[in-house]
Amino acid sequence: MRWELADKALRSDFRRRVEELSGQNLGDCYQCGKCTGGCPVLADIELSPNRIIRMIQLGLEEDVLTNESVWCCTACGTCNGRCPMGINIVHILDTVRLLSQQSKYRPGALEVLTFYQAFLNCIRHFGRLNEIGLMGSYNINSGRLLTNMVKAPWFFMKGKISLSPHKIRRIERLERVFARIEEIEGK
Amino acid sequence: MKYGYFPGCSLLSSAVEYDRSARGVLGAVGVELEEIDDWVCCGATAAHATSPLLSAALPAISCAAAEKQGLDVLTCCAACYSRLKQTNQEVKDDPELQKQISEIIEEPYQGNVRVLHITEVLAREISPEAIKAAVKKPLKGLKVACYYGCLMARMPEALCVDKAEYPVLVDDLIRAVGAEPLDWPYKTECCGAALTLARQKTVIRLSGEIVQIAKQNGADVLAVSCPLCQANLDMYQSEAEKLLGEQLSVPVLYFTQLMALAMGLPAAELCLDKVIVDPMPLLSEKGFISGGVYL
Repeated sequence: MRWELADKALRSDFRRRVEELSGQNLGDCYQCGKCTGGCPVLADIELSPNRIIRMIQLGLEEDVLTNESVWCCTACGTCNGRCPMGINIVHILDTVRLLSQQSKYRPGALEVLTFYQAFLNCIRHFGRLNEIGLMGSYNINSGRLLTNMVKAPWFFMKGKISLSPHKIRRIERLERVFARIEEIEGK
Repeated sequence: MKYGYFPGCSLLSSAVEYDRSARGVLGAVGVELEEIDDWVCCGATAAHATSPLLSAALPAISCAAAEKQGLDVLTCCAACYSRLKQTNQEVKDDPELQKQISEIIEEPYQGNVRVLHITEVLAREISPEAIKAAVKKPLKGLKVACYYGCLMARMPEALCVDKAEYPVLVDDLIRAVGAEPLDWPYKTECCGAALTLARQKTVIRLSGEIVQIAKQNGADVLAVSCPLCQANLDMYQSEAEKLLGEQLSVPVLYFTQLMALAMGLPAAELCLDKVIVDPMPLLSEKGFISGGVYL
């Protein structure tokens, strides 16, 4: 794949923002590719971890923020463990995902973001995750109504999905925590 | 010995067998648990993939409660362990973050709790003799592939309690109850984790490969220590069989279930009926249970 290195990209402050938010120095990366060698989702993605880093170095903001590859990261941390320069690559990808939500661009893999949002909404309302609420909310919001529905009855029968969600006592405090963070992170 | 117990959301529902068997095993070796007061979900991947601040604030709420109770934190879930431990360290090391987080969670929090995983407590804080003494019927001849997944092993180096690429804590525990832990190469490969709903194909491929390699190395059973790994490895075996074109049917149990079995704990604490790939045929063939009745 080819990317156009426009003047605009070279002068963008994208790299600086990623470095600041993630606390990582992107100049440390010399493209050895060990992160990519160990990446478990490599077969399913277009941009490998070392490529994403190179693109951030070059200021290719839109190409990085709209690519779905950054959302396919399982945060397994193999890249972090193997980076000879000790760069926290998962942290860089977390940062890219945050920037992609704040930006004017459309995140590359909406179904993954939808899942995370359904998960966090559930926590915001109950303080703890209840899996049936999560699956329901994800399936409705993503339009994939049948995801995992074949397995659901089995979980019910075995008493592995609780029908009455656990709710914490100090739920109002938690709501204030969520609201305050939304305000700070500007989402 | 007493710890502040952080069950985590999964252990209340889809991983209820982990909770019951863990409580059983800990009780059998004299560990006392006191639940952390009004604990909150750790936020898992969903929080740190979308909001760095939330991913610190959520674990901080529970850690602050433990700090107040004056207890070390014990958790069974690998994801909770990873989030709680890392947050605790980050808050401890960074006064600015400490101030910000304390303000957000409306609670003083210094990052001073110890966060321990159940494997660490059983293998390091309890003597191996105490475990051996609790074993009633050793699992002789059972070949176990201990699978650790990502989050247990791949902490920042300073926080790691086991070898990152070849962890051994669960192997030690499995050996202590008389079974045979296998030397195999996929101990810390990723199962696909939280992509389980949004990217099923990826998860089926990764999980299937782990079960396949375990089987090729002669495993009778996989022993896991993370609820999400258990779900992925167990739930998708039929799909993985189609993808790989070979039969798998390897039971995936929590290591605590195997320990509980060896300690002769009651069926209600073993919960062997709560996993998808039925372990009963294997376990009765090996003589650990008979016809669905625990010996």
